[in-house]
Amino acid sequence: MAFNFNWSPLTADAEFYKRAQEMLTTALNKSPKPPIIVDDILVNELNLGTTPPELEILEIGDLAEDRFRGIFKMCYSGDAFLTLKTRVQANPLNTYLFSKPSFTSPMPLAASSGLTIPLQITLSEIKLSAFIILVFSRQKGLTLVFRNDPLESLKVSSTFDSIPFVRDYLQKEIEMQLRTLMMDELPAIIHRLSLRLWCPEYGPKEEEEAVNIENKEKEEVAVDPFSSPPQDAVDARGNVLDANEITSLSLDGGSEIHSLFSQKNLLRLGALNDSHRTLSLFTPSIRDAVFRAWAGPTERGDSVGTSTPVTPSLLRSHSYTPSSSTTYTFSRNSDDGHGHMPSRPSLVSMHSATTGLSLGSGRHSRSHLRKKKNRVVNLRKSTTTDDSASESGQSEASAAVVSEPAFPTQVEEEPEDNIITPPRSPSGKVRFRTSSIDLGDSPRKSRISTPIRSALSSKPMPEEAVLEPAPVIGNMEPTAPIFSREHRPSMVSANPVSEKKPASASVSQPAKHNPFLAPAPVLTEPSPGGIIEQAWVMKMAGEIARRNHDEKAARGGFWASQDTREDSPPPAYEPKAL
Amino acid sequence: MDYVQNAFYDASNWNLENSYSQLTATARALLEFETPRGFGLSVSSLSSPNFATSYAIGSVGLVDGSLSYLYSSLPLRPASQSANIELEDVIRGYRQIQELRKHKHSWEWEQWHAGKRIDKRDTLLYGRLYLPQSTLEALYLRRLTPTQQFKLSAVSDGRLRNGGTILALHQYDVGKYCAESLYSTDGGLVGIRGLYNFGPDPRKGITEPPRTEDRFYGRFSAGAEVYYGSLNKSGGVSFGGRFATLPAHNGTPLTATLTLNPLMGNISTTYAVKAGRNLALCSKFDFNVYSYESDLMLGCELWRMKAKAEKIRVRSMAAKLEWRLDEIEKKPISEPEQVLGVLKARVDQNWKIGLLWEGKVKELLFTLGSSIDMKRTDQPFRAIGLELQYSS
Repeated sequence: MAFNFNWSPLTADAEFYKRAQEMLTTALNKSPKPPIIVDDILVNELNLGTTPPELEILEIGDLAEDRFRGIFKMCYSGDAFLTLKTRVQANPLNTYLFSKPSFTSPMPLAASSGLTIPLQITLSEIKLSAFIILVFSRQKGLTLVFRNDPLESLKVSSTFDSIPFVRDYLQKEIEMQLRTLMMDELPAIIHRLSLRLWCPEYGPKEEEEAVNIENKEKEEVAVDPFSSPPQDAVDARGNVLDANEITSLSLDGGSEIHSLFSQKNLLRLGALNDSHRTLSLFTPSIRDAVFRAWAGPTERGDSVGTSTPVTPSLLRSHSYTPSSSTTYTFSRNSDDGHGHMPSRPSLVSMHSATTGLSLGSGRHSRSHLRKKKNRVVNLRKSTTTDDSASESGQSEASAAVVSEPAFPTQVEEEPEDNIITPPRSPSGKVRFRTSSIDLGDSPRKSRISTPIRSALSSKPMPEEAVLEPAPVIGNMEPTAPIFSREHRPSMVSANPVSEKKPASASVSQPAKHNPFLAPAPVLTEPSPGGIIEQAWVMKMAGEIARRNHDEKAARGGFWASQDTREDSPPPAYEPKAL
Repeated sequence: MDYVQNAFYDASNWNLENSYSQLTATARALLEFETPRGFGLSVSSLSSPNFATSYAIGSVGLVDGSLSYLYSSLPLRPASQSANIELEDVIRGYRQIQELRKHKHSWEWEQWHAGKRIDKRDTLLYGRLYLPQSTLEALYLRRLTPTQQFKLSAVSDGRLRNGGTILALHQYDVGKYCAESLYSTDGGLVGIRGLYNFGPDPRKGITEPPRTEDRFYGRFSAGAEVYYGSLNKSGGVSFGGRFATLPAHNGTPLTATLTLNPLMGNISTTYAVKAGRNLALCSKFDFNVYSYESDLMLGCELWRMKAKAEKIRVRSMAAKLEWRLDEIEKKPISEPEQVLGVLKARVDQNWKIGLLWEGKVKELLFTLGSSIDMKRTDQPFRAIGLELQYSS
């Protein structure tokens, strides 16, 4: 087994930093501050640097699809730095009185009047060395514990460096704060994040937040990506595609897309959809994840994706029958050298609903390819989100009702437990279904299943998000099969709105939707997309890797320095659309 | 308990206000009053002239309470029934500084009996135990001579460093000036502060009658304080001045203060005026010359008096019998109005508002307060509290 951790995407993602800064700010202000600090601590600047931490797997105690327990050894001595801003009380008498009982206070008249001074602190040369115990279970979320004090040393430089007394004091105080942060706060935050990702029950709490996001998102106009071809389509290697190529790609992509879905799931989804129509009480259970490996070759029989009418069975099409539906296919197999050129550009807009079959076909090729690929742990879940997003977009186009925000929740549900029960009333549930269905239809689904968590985290991913990342990523990782991006591009082109964004906003998009996790997944996909696919192929490996990623990602969110993984990259993709 | 302590100061002829730490007492009373949090109830009793007890219970989230006992060697006879207590004595509002009093000579305290001195120094002992927290407060107050007082206060709390702190304060007040020195075990803090009153010296007796024709008849006082923490090598300095009109002034009573902290570059000015019989206004402006931070605070105090229902004049039976009218009474001497309550309000530049209503309902003294933050529109009420006091 091998794990592949991407460090650089993290650092390349502006949105990730933004979110990480927000999270750090909240974390730092949570614990009671010493009286000398009179204002909130703001994280002004954060850079993870270019040196990744070294991660060593010491022990894996438990390993299953929904469980993982292991011990890691982590060493970090990189060039990450962190700049904090706050205001301090310069009057020693003021701070002296602060914590003293008023009964014995000398009650100075004005000698204790305060003088607050803005202070800027830069933490650099952070050296960490820790044993990390990581326990993951789908029900209980992710628990990460430092077995020892992870902080080895760090350098504190501040506005008051010229005054040795103050400098020493700051150094001491900050080390102390940092230790408590890492030992106490960090595990709690990671746990919370993981719960958010994996536990649907946890979702409602966030629902409110999501609503806010939704409101913003609603403002965005749902655009049918397919309506217009991607303007700046790029193939996996970053070459610009001309219109013809694009069309061809789309076809190929379509097939690939199919490949992404496992037949079983497709069938189940189909059954699910049918049940809605037939009033059948049987609800097919769809396991949390669909692994590509499961996909049988038979599936590929599917016709080329583009717009085979066949799909409809699976597709939500029943309900929506979108005039023009978009399917995003991400072909990962760049490696394979598949017949599909840039299979990745999977995003295909199908006027009629895509056929499940077509998708299946896609898988075939991919699945084969995938196996070949190295496993890369990917945070991709984002891809799922993308898909959902795209789907949503479609649905929206047809129904125009669904708001993106809904997706995230949907995504969560799908992955975990069986897909939502069919019986729902069309109106209320439509969203979910669509999402679920879409997922099933589209390759994403498979992704979703595995990467779901990440996807979950990223609630509403705008379609745009998808678009952006692709080009860059492709360039970056030549070896990896990274087609996902292409898909996005296609999508981008499809959506007028999205088109604009991709170029400029590739990074930013995800951020707005889900400050927390959501964006990440999407982002990840594009760059690491190829990798992700591979990961899926290897269920076990993939799963583990993801967990690791997640953990790391979570960590990264927190603590920029610590992140090893690329998971964080997903954030980079955050949707700029907002 | 503060009420009883003040009674002790009164009984022992100590002028509490003649101290540098009380220079801005008026502004503090009008601007920095504490708004109660949660619900509180205290029951006090002055069971004998020398002994007082008080029990308090409060709930801010969880229930806590305190027990306090006070012993005074000097018999205290303040009105202790809460129904009889004058609100003016309990509520700290605009403080009208009084003419300086002349202290007795120390020989006036001496009592001789059978060739021995039998007079004792007046002493106050006070202890308070906070129950869930297990915090103990203790106070020892002793009048050494008519011009000197020694105060020792201590807090014992396991959460404090070294388990507690002790503050020793020695005050020397001769009226014309007042000097205090203090020492705190916490950080080894040493402090000196002094206040000098310009104007006639009370020790020499009042040489001139109050010049009531002056536009302002008042007193100017100036003072300074110095602190040095011997353990943590830190210190603080401030200077202050105050001008306040005296009771004999027949214009609007006002108090203005200026304090400076040269080390921290802080300048603070307050201006309080008693605009009417029932209204006092106060403003405070802070400015820091180093950081250019400024702060503005406004406050007011409104006393609500009990409106006396005018007696309906009815011819008395005696007058009717005698076929005459009642004599026209001379304008009745206006009885001292009873205070119904006091409304205090303050607002600062951040739109933080504090409201306090203190009053008396039957036998109970109550304090109802709230602090409001208008900047947080979603949840403007930061704290609401009600405190009830009963004493017998």
